Amino acid sequence: MCGIAGRILASSGRVGDDLVELMDAQEHRGADSTGFAIYGPPRDSGYILRGMGFDKTRLDKDIEDFRAILKAHGSDFAGEPSFVTDDNAHYCARMVIDDPRDIARWIRDADTIADRFEIQSCGRSLEIIKDVGGAQGVADKHGVRDMIGTHGLGHARLATESSVLPNASHPFWARPFPDVAIVHNGQITDYFTWREKLMRKGYRFLTENDSELIAVWVSDQIASGLTPELALKKSISAIDGVFTYMIADRDGIGFAKDRFAMKPLVVVEQDGEMAAATEEQAVRRIYTGECEVINYDGPSLTHIWGVGNRSLAA
Amino acid sequence: MSEIVIEAGKRPIREINEEIQAACAAGHKVIVRNTLSRHNLGVGLPPGAIVHFEGSVGYYCGGLNDGATVTIERNAGWAVGEGMSHGHITVGGYAGMSAGAAMIDGTIHIKGDSGPRCGVAMKGGNIVVEGKIGYQSGFMAHKGRIIALGGAGHSCADALWQGEVWVAGPVESLGVDVDVVEPTAEEVAEVDAILEPLGLADSSRNWRKMISGQRLWYFESRDASAWLMI
Repeated sequence: MCGIAGRILASSGRVGDDLVELMDAQEHRGADSTGFAIYGPPRDSGYILRGMGFDKTRLDKDIEDFRAILKAHGSDFAGEPSFVTDDNAHYCARMVIDDPRDIARWIRDADTIADRFEIQSCGRSLEIIKDVGGAQGVADKHGVRDMIGTHGLGHARLATESSVLPNASHPFWARPFPDVAIVHNGQITDYFTWREKLMRKGYRFLTENDSELIAVWVSDQIASGLTPELALKKSISAIDGVFTYMIADRDGIGFAKDRFAMKPLVVVEQDGEMAAATEEQAVRRIYTGECEVINYDGPSLTHIWGVGNRSLAA
Repeated sequence: MSEIVIEAGKRPIREINEEIQAACAAGHKVIVRNTLSRHNLGVGLPPGAIVHFEGSVGYYCGGLNDGATVTIERNAGWAVGEGMSHGHITVGGYAGMSAGAAMIDGTIHIKGDSGPRCGVAMKGGNIVVEGKIGYQSGFMAHKGRIIALGGAGHSCADALWQGEVWVAGPVESLGVDVDVVEPTAEEVAEVDAILEPLGLADSSRNWRKMISGQRLWYFESRDASAWLMI
């Protein structure tokens, strides 16, 4: 089933808190994992990384090896990394780094230790927080409610295509494109074929999750010259399966929906702000009064909302 | 008949529904406020009950209705009136996906548009939509009528059994195995008799009645391409 959400504020504010509410209202759609992509105040230089190590007893060694790879690419930590651990075997990391000489080359090398420590987001603004458990639990563990930003995505996962693992949760970062993230409700049936094609072009996938494909697929189309609008539209005929997905970058949030119209999206746009969710009762956590609700219920739909609700395309 | 007001808010849905049932059993008309688009409101209402929901409701409102009169002030989420066997449901605005799914009898009156697959697998009764019915409406309807006054989206009346889809206004495209037939004067009179009590009778409508072409009732491998065209 899965539940997704998107939120854009008119100016930088408590977007983390709003996304936790949107996801808490949809926890029944998938409580095995929850994740958030938050776009905070963008940095002029340096990248914020979020990552996950799979054995907390090896944290020091993981980070030492990770740092050695960073240094080989002309980068280093800009400040002390911070870590979150609990009873689970895995740990979560947040770090700020200086600009590597080449993001794609660096992440390719950094991924050589991805079986121990994987980078889950990289951006001037983007931070992806994901973990097993429901919205409240993940939010409390990682301080999501206090995260400040202009926009973001949320996801509640009911695993259908791959295992319940902390790193198989959404959102997914469009490796290696900085600041691009997706959340997806549905199942992609030809993801294996598409992954093969993209891997031959040099892309790398770290999980068995079908949704990881979408972020890279759309970003690759844009990198090949398509506008975001056309890339979203093309995905409807090119990717096979059932989907409503939302993709975000620093400028806004877009969505696309398959030609079978199976997965809903409910949107409220008001006063230069936007809230989107799979279920209307979720957006009612933000907009409790009566308001105009847009139901994107039809088949083959796309839309892009700019940050500050500058509408980029219909 | 006295009125009882029930506040929904964030309370457990089971508790709200128990209060609605108890008020109906005691012969009161019920008004439910602050619905916040919650799911499963007013499921399984008994014959004779009168329930009004202020604002918008979530999924399955009025589902399994056994003869109640339900009004929803604004929008309904998925599958309003799913599996209802009797009664009358009015949606003031838009009804989401699968309105009247698998309903057996009774009437659902939607004043706005409906979402995709309106009347999916319905087994009887009538769905009247004043606006446009969404993508693939009437999908695999076994029996009953969907009546749309404002047109229909793509893949209209897809894979019908013995249900009928009546549309006044433009139809974006037909689904698989649909025959568009000219209704007889008696049939038009029957439809007008359904619309009359809703205040929607209009003899000048140009109806298109869609029924099953019956080609897909029995699967034959040579028809596989027709099945796959959706």
